[in-house]
Amino acid sequence: MSETNGFEPKIVAYVCNWCTYLGADLAGTNRLEYPPNVRLIRLPCTGRIDFNLIVKAFEMSADAVLVSGCHPGDCHYTAGNYHARRRWMLFRPLLEALGFDLRRIHFTWISAAEGRKFQQVIAEITESARKLGPYRPYEANGESKWRPAGLPPPKRRSGDDASLRTTARELLAEGKAGVVIGRGERGPVLARKPEDADRLTWNGASKIALTAYLKRKEVRALGKPAIVAGPADLRALNVLEQESQIRREDIHVIAAEGPGAAPPDFSDLDALLQLEPGERMAYWAGEFDRCVKCYACRQACPLCYCERCIVDKNRPQAIDTSAHARGNFAWHITRAFHLAGRCVGCGACTRACPAGIDLRLLNQAAARAAERQFGYRAGADPKAEPLVGVYSLTDKEEFIG
Amino acid sequence: MSRIITEAGLRELAEAWLRDGQAVAGPSEVKLGLIQYRPITAAARLLFDGFVHPANSIKEFFFPRHEPLYRYRLEGSRVVLEDCEPPAVKQLVFARPCDAAALPVLDHVFNWDCADEFYNRRREATTVVTLACSRYDDECFCTSVGLGPAAEQGADAVLFALGGGAFEVRPTTAKGDAAFADRTEESDRTATPFAGPPRRVALPRVEFDSPVWEDATLECLGCGACAYTCPTCHCFDIVDEGNAAGGMRAKNWDSCQFSLFTLHASGHNPRHAQPRRQRQRIYHKFHIYPEKFGPILCTGCGNCARQCPAGLGVLNVLKAIEASHAEHLPA
Ligand code: SF4
Ligand code: SF4
Ligand code: SF4
Ligand code: SF4
Repeated sequence: MSETNGFEPKIVAYVCNWCTYLGADLAGTNRLEYPPNVRLIRLPCTGRIDFNLIVKAFEMSADAVLVSGCHPGDCHYTAGNYHARRRWMLFRPLLEALGFDLRRIHFTWISAAEGRKFQQVIAEITESARKLGPYRPYEANGESKWRPAGLPPPKRRSGDDASLRTTARELLAEGKAGVVIGRGERGPVLARKPEDADRLTWNGASKIALTAYLKRKEVRALGKPAIVAGPADLRALNVLEQESQIRREDIHVIAAEGPGAAPPDFSDLDALLQLEPGERMAYWAGEFDRCVKCYACRQACPLCYCERCIVDKNRPQAIDTSAHARGNFAWHITRAFHLAGRCVGCGACTRACPAGIDLRLLNQAAARAAERQFGYRAGADPKAEPLVGVYSLTDKEEFIG
Repeated sequence: MSRIITEAGLRELAEAWLRDGQAVAGPSEVKLGLIQYRPITAAARLLFDGFVHPANSIKEFFFPRHEPLYRYRLEGSRVVLEDCEPPAVKQLVFARPCDAAALPVLDHVFNWDCADEFYNRRREATTVVTLACSRYDDECFCTSVGLGPAAEQGADAVLFALGGGAFEVRPTTAKGDAAFADRTEESDRTATPFAGPPRRVALPRVEFDSPVWEDATLECLGCGACAYTCPTCHCFDIVDEGNAAGGMRAKNWDSCQFSLFTLHASGHNPRHAQPRRQRQRIYHKFHIYPEKFGPILCTGCGNCARQCPAGLGVLNVLKAIEASHAEHLPA
């Protein structure tokens, strides 16, 4: 009693227009009393509920969040709720890796006829939030001493430099490629003249994914690109093709190896998940405290190809541009989620970050959920349907009430 | 005769500031292999040697990446404004000479058409102690921009490592003098000068219309890593943040390397491709700024090259410009 005395949690409920909202309405017309702690926000469909809204609710001092929509099979838009369910299967592990308290985040199906269920759900959530006490966004209990082992150094490629240079020189001389994107001693090389080919080497330096150049206007303007691709680059090309960003026949690929079949090394993620949620959040708060919002992570990523990133949208401003805790958490949650089921694990974001933030761990949280729940590995198969673009009737929903 | 202090004495100095509730910042290891300038809470965290340059710059302590200017909130139908102040505490910042040298350069722009109170107050409240360099890497080029490992610009006191955990102290301002008062000993040891990196580039004439931009900077990805770790880059954006109930107006770092930096509301972008944005960065540093204020906007610290994920950086672009001039010379 003493601890919860006087504390009234704020619950934000994002509900779909067609089922849960009507269920709430029914509860009202039937005079079913439920705690006044809940603020209902009506959206067309659970499939439309952007994860930013959940983050925003917590930022604006919600103590718990509920997302609720139509039961499977009942969606007004046929399948919006199935899409939502699948995204949640990837989103929850990400929040878990960040150290969010998942007991504050709820998902239910409530139909227009279930006024009583609505009443119960709200009563339960309010009671549990009351017990958990007030939520302070991104509040870390002190400093975390935990450090990941970090990205291993890039593997040596087995290709032969002399034949790489010959190939590149010929492609450029014969006009079969307008640019050869490769690695040189200092970093990436965009070879445009036959003599530039001599700067290419299989084992050159590059903190970025070479495939990141394919999205750049000034590189596209050079004509057909050839790319000196390692395994991660090949996986990125596959995802870009799945997402209709490129056509394979428009790109000349120079590769010495396949896209790689070995499972990713999740040992740092495992170690992170061994920590208490509070310490996980403390770890990320410490890391994000160094984030200056330079967006090198985004620029270096082959799959961050949006012409205008959500963080650069200001009507309305979905994510605070300030590099403070709120703005940084929102940015990194959003970025990691936008890469869920898409990140090919190239490590470019982590290598490019001037603040040494191990962003890879967030991407891995979603990547592992994709492997475990769907047997899906991004970029392994260019013909596979993109994971987040589709759904299945048999997607697991043990987290849905 | 010289004044010397031991490493333990330096840490004691930092501890004393912390005990007084003042702020101390300097190079510290934030994780294995990553040294950054950070505010520190214990003097033991300070690093004095064993590295060339931290991965960021000290500008953060004068011109933070995010600085609230004022807050607003709605009370009934009234909007209440509340001024924000920079923290009232004094700061002691341990720095490399190339970082300190950026401060007098930045003073110009922050006091040009209007005096930036936030910057000026932080500047007044700060004592900068530099440690003259005793090593350099491939990216350092202070000696090519008229500075060097013992440059005094912007420093209140300069330290020189004497070996064996001792430092010669040469205060250059009253603030520096005050910081070391009663903390040094007389000695007859003096530091041997260290030449620093060889001259790596002769500052070339920067031409606006030149094929070099496209040739040498196409690899640039348009991130802010160079600008945000540079001690002299100082662009910022004024943003409003909050909602109908309350919020703030803040000054946030910005960079000319972002494609949005010059995007007009009409959709037109005068710097429509990355080489043009790189040209802006170099042209501003070596032409526009000196023309307007005198000094160039670069101290040769090399951070832009160290932090560039695409292997560029100012030194490499300057070298490419130099080479492009040479190409045009008659043989
Ligand atoms: S690269 Fe690092 S510092 Fe820059 S925005 Fe990304 S996480 Fe932040
Ligand atoms: S590891 Fe994933 S998120 Fe990071 S740059 Fe590569 S594809 Fe993008
Ligand atoms: S431009 Fe580069 S070398 Fe010059 S001061 Fe900035 S970061 Fe240092
Ligand atoms: S020069 Fe390098 S660090 Fe600077 S914007 Fe371009 S890619 Fe980023």
